[in-house]
Amino acid sequence: MTKILEINNLKYKKNSKTILTDINLSLDSGKIIGLLGENGAGKTTLMRLIAGVNVQPSGVITVDSKTKITEIKSSVSFSDNLNGFSGRTKIIDIVHFYENVYPDFSAEKYNEISSYLDLKENDRLSSLSTGTLGKLVIALALSRETKLYLLDEPLSGIDSMSRKKIISSIIRWKSDDSTIIISDHYVTEIASLLDEVVIVKDKTIYEVIEVEKIQEKYHLGVEEYYEKVYEGGLTNE
Amino acid sequence: MEYIDNIPIYLQIKDMLYRKIISNEYELGSQLPSVRQLAVEVSANSNTVQKALKEMTDENVVIPQRGKGNFVTEDVTIVNKLKNHIVNEMFDATYDKLHSLKMNDNEIIDSFNNYVKQREDTND
Repeated sequence: MTKILEINNLKYKKNSKTILTDINLSLDSGKIIGLLGENGAGKTTLMRLIAGVNVQPSGVITVDSKTKITEIKSSVSFSDNLNGFSGRTKIIDIVHFYENVYPDFSAEKYNEISSYLDLKENDRLSSLSTGTLGKLVIALALSRETKLYLLDEPLSGIDSMSRKKIISSIIRWKSDDSTIIISDHYVTEIASLLDEVVIVKDKTIYEVIEVEKIQEKYHLGVEEYYEKVYEGGLTNE
Repeated sequence: MEYIDNIPIYLQIKDMLYRKIISNEYELGSQLPSVRQLAVEVSANSNTVQKALKEMTDENVVIPQRGKGNFVTEDVTIVNKLKNHIVNEMFDATYDKLHSLKMNDNEIIDSFNNYVKQREDTND
């Protein structure tokens, strides 16, 4: 299997405070991977580093065999919380912005996803419910045709109907050779989607483990396993 | 689909599909929905659905046809065997429990016949 992502000896400090240290990670392509960790564990920082939004002071990140930050930036679709747009911006204007900025943005794919998710192009950002905003974020991220998608807490604060729709659009529109990394601190609902989980703890990657292994070897669900890891109830072999 | 979280999802999907085949919801020789359709239906990853189908293929219940997709076997003996296996699994626990009450096989059969009769009466 080809590697979509390799991280070697990554460290990240902010205002001389260590945020992440000794990060080594190697992920096969084609999978859906859960990035789990408590709030503040560094999940978003790690995603921003992978996406090339934050620049790493030391270590090497390779995405789809690319190491140049400009190349990585253009080949990773990182979900954007859309905070940079004013509340008066219409959905259609954001879509045009995406079309202009990302050559891999497929208007056709966006039309399919947005009609499935019931997004109205003339609605303004400030009028959207949290659920609808979450759907828009996902529709935009999935409409780029690329190899690696980073979805940062796509279900956080979202009502259960919208969550189901978001999950189902991830399944529908993920192409077989692409890889999706989804971060979350509440796992149960996405557990059936995941091939593997990456657990971030104590400023580093505690473990990368297949979901099936958690179930077969430890007879636990992902959520339970993850809680045990955080309580220190499991010893890492 | 609701999952039991500490059992591999592909096994639960396989089980669900087997039940649909036994109950004839998916008929002998019929085409199964595509991997993607199944994945959406059961809210799981395509890789996981693929793995369930792979095992079903290894067990000769599903026959993949190149370029066409996956089909249920046309062989009724395979499906009967599968049905037998699943029914036995359901009986296993009950039989053991009845045995632990020191009931012999005849008593177990009698009480099961009685039970079915009573169920029929209440359903009338």
